[in-house]
This record gives sequence, structure tokens and C-alpha cells, in this order.
Amino acid sequence: MFNYTLRRLLTVIPTLLVLIVFSFYLMRLAPGGPFTSEKPLPPAVMQNVLERYGMDQPLYVQLWTYIKNIVFHFDFGPSFAQKDRTVNDVIVQGFPVTLTYGFWSAVFVLVLGIPLGIIAALRHNSIWDYTMTGLAIFSQIFPNFVLAPILVLLFTLSWGLLPGGGWNGGQWEYIVMPAIALGTSYMAGVARLTRGSMLEVLNAPFILTARAKGLPERVIIWRHALKPALLPTLTYMGPVFVYMITGSVFIDVFFSTGGIGQDFIDGAYSRDYSMLLGLAILYSLLTFTLNLMLDLMYAWIDPKVRSSL
Amino acid sequence: MTDTQKRLNSKEFADPVAEEMIVSRSFWADARRRFLSHRLAVFSVFMLLALLLFALFGQYFARWSFEEIDWNVLGRIKTEGAPSLENGHWFGVDDLGRDLYARVVQGTRTSLMVGFVAGPLAVLLGATLGALAGYFGGRLDQIITGFYTIWISIPYIIFFVVWQAFFGRSLTQMIIVIIIVNWTAGLLIVRGQVMMLKHREFVDAARMLGMSDLAIIFKHLAPNILWVIVIYTSIVIPEVIMAESLVSFLGVGIQEPNTSWGALISEGARTMTFGTLWQLAFPAAFFVIAQVSLYYIGDGLRDALDPKDRR
Repeated sequence: MFNYTLRRLLTVIPTLLVLIVFSFYLMRLAPGGPFTSEKPLPPAVMQNVLERYGMDQPLYVQLWTYIKNIVFHFDFGPSFAQKDRTVNDVIVQGFPVTLTYGFWSAVFVLVLGIPLGIIAALRHNSIWDYTMTGLAIFSQIFPNFVLAPILVLLFTLSWGLLPGGGWNGGQWEYIVMPAIALGTSYMAGVARLTRGSMLEVLNAPFILTARAKGLPERVIIWRHALKPALLPTLTYMGPVFVYMITGSVFIDVFFSTGGIGQDFIDGAYSRDYSMLLGLAILYSLLTFTLNLMLDLMYAWIDPKVRSSL
Repeated sequence: MTDTQKRLNSKEFADPVAEEMIVSRSFWADARRRFLSHRLAVFSVFMLLALLLFALFGQYFARWSFEEIDWNVLGRIKTEGAPSLENGHWFGVDDLGRDLYARVVQGTRTSLMVGFVAGPLAVLLGATLGALAGYFGGRLDQIITGFYTIWISIPYIIFFVVWQAFFGRSLTQMIIVIIIVNWTAGLLIVRGQVMMLKHREFVDAARMLGMSDLAIIFKHLAPNILWVIVIYTSIVIPEVIMAESLVSFLGVGIQEPNTSWGALISEGARTMTFGTLWQLAFPAAFFVIAQVSLYYIGDGLRDALDPKDRR
């Protein structure tokens, strides 16, 4: 188990290297830059600006300095577009916001999705089941960028219950809609998957044995069926986390939460190289950490996986 | 003769049975039969065809072009820009007084184009690499799967946004970046299938006849994994359309005055506070209809093609 974790942790190095090198050259080889504007700067000024940011050196030297600064000083460099902030500043301010509603969104996905799936499976082919499956398909098709405007339309514009955007230090009213908009389609996915695997487990021989022993239904479900039924759901959460991180970019933009997504999109517009690269690294690290945690949890639950590590 | 024997020998019964025995049913004929029995899927195919026809011929029913501003309603969009049969704005006008019907036609065209060109190409690329990795194994396999593992742990939106912002926002660039981002779709499963199939007798036979490796892969293995490719394509196409819409929503998608579903939904969402709800409703409806249809077509294809699920 320890060796496995260590091995996994080591794979993060090539992953980040590929990401950094690829993105770095991709951005630099494209025409234009953070300092090109409609009224070009005088050559002497331009020269000074480039020197200030170390952009007068050859590309591979810049890349090397960049990587060195991250590894030794944990410094992602100054922002090229927002003159008074460094990338570290932006991350420190924005990342907690994104993490907060991301966390609540994940809670929403699991706490609602799993019970819904179980109920649908236990009342197989009943009206509950059909309603649930129908809703699940429906909300899987409604992506967050269609759902979010509809939520704002209902809760803010029509009923005036919740604020339509902003963050305000993370009061709960400001978290509800971002979390729901981000999580709904995955909640539906989790419900559908849990339903399917629960149905399968309930037909397994060991459940028949438990029934034959005369165990009460409650015990059968909680003690025997739940754990194996949740395994597929857990594997599904891996890609879901990736998609939720992706989706958070949109949520940050749409709800103006002040999370890092907005800075990322702004960075893309203004060709803010260091901002884009820094946030890209952050997003990838987040994906990687979540997936690792998930795999370890998987090993913890499933003895077959544990022994193969 | 008993009644049962009579019935078995009767013409109504014997003829179909004989026919069934003569016409051998291929895998694909079987699949077609199963797909056609999936009513929702068949209905969805018609919905999708309707969308295609709309994208191809919708413009001939528009009274306005998609970039022309109707100065008569500009400034009074909330009261006079609503959908109306009189002034020819079937779906109303957008924020800038442009005909929304014509823009939806244009957006449908872009979104479907992206989905149906980039989706299959991405799957084909992934399948080819997966087949090569599975067939040759060894070092090549290690390189391809290693790169795959790295690639899937990078959130795709990053590349998407960076690429679109830096290389111009044209349809071609959009298709290229979608292929780059999605080439991993179907790679692993094709690799697995090929690894399983390459030890079968027909592959040995082909090799003994002196066929080259590539010829074996593309002539003999490809038909056997075509079903995987079809299923994955049906999954990837709606995903691609969704990704394109998301990126367009974020404002780094297709360049104005061209548009796509995501860009239209984004504009509609921005202006809904002014009460011009049709600007959100029409694009969102088209988007959702397409996604629902593609979902059920994919579902039908999975039921029809997946051999694990033979009934």
C-alpha cells in the first residue's frame, strides 16, 4: 500500500512536466503576447518591459527559470496582466472559494445521489423508480451552463430567495446555487449508477443466503448490500471530480464568485502566460490528488484491489 | 395428425421458419433489428434528422441573415423584439437586434459540425493508437498507455481555453483542439479488444498467408472492433457538442458574428434579467433536444451492439 502510494506520487512529476512544457511552448509560439496592444509600445519601452519579465532570454532558459522558481521557491511568478498581483496572490485569494463550493457540491452529489439510487433500486419498477430514472436522464442532459441560468431565473429573478452571484465571504446563501449548478448532473449520474449496481447486488447469491437466514431487510441492505453496491459509484467519482473541476471554471465566471476560474479565463484573454500556466498546474494537481485519494479509498473498501497493489 | 402437428405444418407457420433458416443473420443485421425495436432510439434518429435538415435548409425560411441588424426593433427589443410572425423574426431578435432564427440555424450548423466531424475523428485516432498498442505490445504499448495516463489527468478545459485564445477562434481550430483533447476516447477498450483478438486463429491464418501487420489490423481486426468504435462515437459526439458549448459560453469559442448553441445560450443567459427570455429559451431548447436524441441513440446502439448483452 505504501509502495503503491509512493509510486503514484512519483507519476505526478512526468505529468506536470508534460503539461508545463507543452503549454509553455504552445503559448509562446502563438502570435501576440501580453504586451501587444492596438497602439504598439515604443521599441525601447518594449525592450525594458521584456527585460523586466525576463522575456528577452531564449525560451528554454525562461522555461528552466520558471520550473526552478516553482521547485525551489514555490513561486509561480508575477502576473503579466494584473500588474500588482503575483500568481501566488491570485491562488491564495481565489482557490479557497473554489474549494469551498466544490466541497459542498461533492457533498450534495453523494448525500443526495446515493440514497436516491438506493431507493429507486429497492422500489424497482415502481413509480419512484421511474420518476428517479427520468429525472436522472433529464438532469444529465442539462449541463451546468443551461441549469445555472435557469436556477438564477427561478431563485433570484422570480422568487428573490437567493443572491444571483457574488461570494460575500462565503455565506451559505452564496454557496447554494453554485454548488447545485455544479453538482446536479453528477448527482444524477451517481443515482443512476448506484441504482444499477444495487439491483445487481440484490440479485447476487450472497443476498439470497442472507435472506434465507432470515435477516431483516434493514440489515441485509446496510450490512451486506451497501458496500459492494457502492464500488462502481466510487470509480465513477474519479472522472466526476475532473469534470467538476472543469465545471468550476464556468461556475466562477457565471456566478462571479471570485474563484480562480475567472482569473483563468481573463488570463486567456490577456495572454497572461504565468497566470495560465500557474492555474493549469493547480488544476492538474487538484485532479491528481483527488484521483489518488479515490484510488486509496477504493483499495481500502475492496479487498481484491488491496491485495493486488 | 394432432392439432399441434397441423399447426406446425400450416403455411403461416412453416414459411417464416423456413425463411428464417435460409437467410442467415449477420451480426449487423441482428444489431439493426435490435436497434429498430428500441422505439425511443428510432424516434431520436428522426429528431436528429430533423435538426440536420434544419441546419441545412433552415436558412431558406429566414427573412433575415444572421448578421443583419434590424434597426426597426433595436432599442425596443423588450417590447418589439419578441418572436413574431409579422416582422419575420420567427424566434425574435437577439440583444443586438439580429434575427434569432437565423442565428439559431447558424449555431445549429456550427455545433453539429463540431460534434459530427471532431467526435468521430477523435475516436478514430484513439482507436488506431489503441489498436497499435494492443497489437504490437512491448515498448510501443508502454509509451502509448503512459501518455494516455498522463493525458487523462489533465483537465481538458485548460487546453481548450489556452488553444482557443491563442490560435484564433475559428471552426477549424475548434475541431483540431477537440481532436487533441479527446483522442483518448475509446483507446483503452480498443487496445483490450485487439489484445484479445490477436491470438485468435483467423489472425494466425492471415499471418501465414503473408499479410503485413498493418493489413491484419485494418483488414481483419478492424471489422471485429467496429462495434466498439460505433458505441464510443455515439458517446463522444454529445460530449464534444457539450464541451464546445461550454467553451463558447465562457467566451473563448467561435468568433462573432458566427455563433454556436453555447454562445447563444450564454447571450440569452446574460440578457434574461431584461425579460427577453426567448433569447435563452430557443437555443437552450435546440441544445437539449439534440442532447436527448443523441443520448437515446447512444443507448439504443449500446443495446444493439454490445455482445455482453445478447438477448
